[in-house]
Amino acid sequence: MFRVGLVGAGFMGGFHAAGWAHTPATLAAIFAADYDQMHALCRRTGAQPVDSLDALLDAVDVVDICTPTHLHHGMALKAAAAGKHVICEKPLARTPEQAAEMIAACRAAGVTLLPAHVVRFFPQYALAKQTVDEGAVGRVAVVRLSRVSSGPAWAADSWFTDFEKSGGMMLDLMLHDFDYARWVAGEVESVFAKSAGARNPGERQDYGLAILRHTNGALSNIEGGWAYPPPMFRTALEIAGDGGLIEGPAEGAIPLGVYLRQTGEGGDAITGVPSSPLAEDPYTTQIKHFYDVIANNAAPRVTAEDGLAALRIAFAAMESARTGRPIPIEEVQ
Amino acid sequence: MRLAIMSFAHVHAEGYIHNLRAIPDVQVIGFADDDRERGHHFADLYGLDFFDSYADLIAERPDGVIICSENAHHLPLVQMAAEAGVHVLSEKPLATTLEDAQAILDVCARAGVHLMTAFPMRFSAPILEVYRLITTGQLGHIIGANTTNQGKLPRYHTAYPRAWFEDKTLAGGGAVIDHTVHLSDLLRWFLRSEVVEVFADVNDILYGDAGVSVETGGLVMLTFDNGTFASIDCSWSKPPNYPTWGGLTMELVGQNGLVTVDPFKQVIPVYRREAGGGAWAYWGSDSNQGMIDEFAAAIREDRAPSVTGYDGYKAVEIALAVYRSVETGQPVRLAP
Repeated sequence: MFRVGLVGAGFMGGFHAAGWAHTPATLAAIFAADYDQMHALCRRTGAQPVDSLDALLDAVDVVDICTPTHLHHGMALKAAAAGKHVICEKPLARTPEQAAEMIAACRAAGVTLLPAHVVRFFPQYALAKQTVDEGAVGRVAVVRLSRVSSGPAWAADSWFTDFEKSGGMMLDLMLHDFDYARWVAGEVESVFAKSAGARNPGERQDYGLAILRHTNGALSNIEGGWAYPPPMFRTALEIAGDGGLIEGPAEGAIPLGVYLRQTGEGGDAITGVPSSPLAEDPYTTQIKHFYDVIANNAAPRVTAEDGLAALRIAFAAMESARTGRPIPIEEVQ
Repeated sequence: MRLAIMSFAHVHAEGYIHNLRAIPDVQVIGFADDDRERGHHFADLYGLDFFDSYADLIAERPDGVIICSENAHHLPLVQMAAEAGVHVLSEKPLATTLEDAQAILDVCARAGVHLMTAFPMRFSAPILEVYRLITTGQLGHIIGANTTNQGKLPRYHTAYPRAWFEDKTLAGGGAVIDHTVHLSDLLRWFLRSEVVEVFADVNDILYGDAGVSVETGGLVMLTFDNGTFASIDCSWSKPPNYPTWGGLTMELVGQNGLVTVDPFKQVIPVYRREAGGGAWAYWGSDSNQGMIDEFAAAIREDRAPSVTGYDGYKAVEIALAVYRSVETGQPVRLAP
């Protein structure tokens, strides 16, 4: 029996719920603070709405935490204490200390803890990693990763933009590429970073650049931001090694472009977003993998320790941006 | 107007010949080179008069010279030209030390000759459009910039061997001195602000096994007096079979939006039947032509060129600060 309980029914909860439907597991229960969202997602999935985390823990074997970042720690500790396996959206926790506690608690309870770093499941990123591992680019020298969108307007209560809750842009968004850089180029030794508010430099730090030095001498340039005019969103990946180069996305590639004429009060306007449709959503690929890890002891593609390491890089980047100094990772506890 | 070239050490000299010949009132009187073999090679290739020495060339009293020697040799050639009253366009970087760069400014000022630094990107049509967008305020304050000036290892980027690009004594360094100056110059120009802090890290993983002793990979973070920060990737990270020599890209995030520019992507990909035969054929405007036109115009009109020796000096100062930051592992402060 593999019963999953989903905590949080927002943007990410919806993706995870859709993923569980493609596994042999049963999405048994959902607990969410937003009553309407919880009931809507339950109607869609057939899961039981419950009115507390305790009620959810009683009904399931695995807890899938898709709540705002600051809540991960407390919920994961409760789940571990109840002997439930834990899947947790990234960032694994609001602080490295919390993440370390979660890891220790899950280990003590003998349950699995898996952070959802979905970028590792996006096929272009997974293929680039595999290509590096196969030796196609030789020894990795310089990595370039970018991920910039407009502000996270999808969060109804804007917890993303509440630093206390989300940890800000570097922790929420750049974390993806901190994790990926470490995955392809190895452990990070030190970080130098700059950040500023995209609308007003002194305000919310929502544009950033970071230079990572990896222990093996490789360097990574990471760009992140909630700084573009909507609906603009761009990611980029480049891995240069002594044996070759990976560039992504392929230059000029727009697998699908949809540009619709909108007639309205503002006159004609064309809105369009290029996309790259896949037979399987990367979130679903990720959830299927989590199922495999917990049900069949598959080796996890991303571990809780990876989640903690990414958090430490993000904290070093924020500390560097704040102090103007390069921050050795070992300074981040 | 009579113009000449001093040294064909730099690969750009080959393009400048065509640019000079395209200007109706310019007569190319020839060139000199301390490497006689190289001199004869290019004299034959381009049908140019080859002078026995730099002194012989200067004795012909050209109106201006383009100096394309190894970076470390700019100063003596500038001196020779300036003291003879000849206007100078110097390849970038202007020098490999700040003392040399200052001496170049001083000798030209004393002699009353115009000194221009070869920053052709300032004449690139897509770059000029970015300049217009920024300086007319359409992007608002520029928060940050993510930029690259990457290339192949220089030996793969020229048909004629030019090993000095990988020699610290002659070039002043490797990828950093070669590839930070264009972007630091463009950013200074766009932002109308000076660099106040430089942080950088480099490595030698690329071609470390091929006997290259200078840095081949590097990431630089510049902070400007107005608060803008910008990263520069100056790596020689394009493999030998990359479809073009390299490129320069900029993404500038402003309060009002984003501009991205990739001026060397004005290309058509051409795929040949031979193995490894994919290449990008460039159809964009020739920014070198705009730069050489400006040098000729400055001489013709007896005025300072739009890109000055001081611009070259500032780019050298920033590149040298990069090396200091690499040595110390800490950010280096510069006076604005």
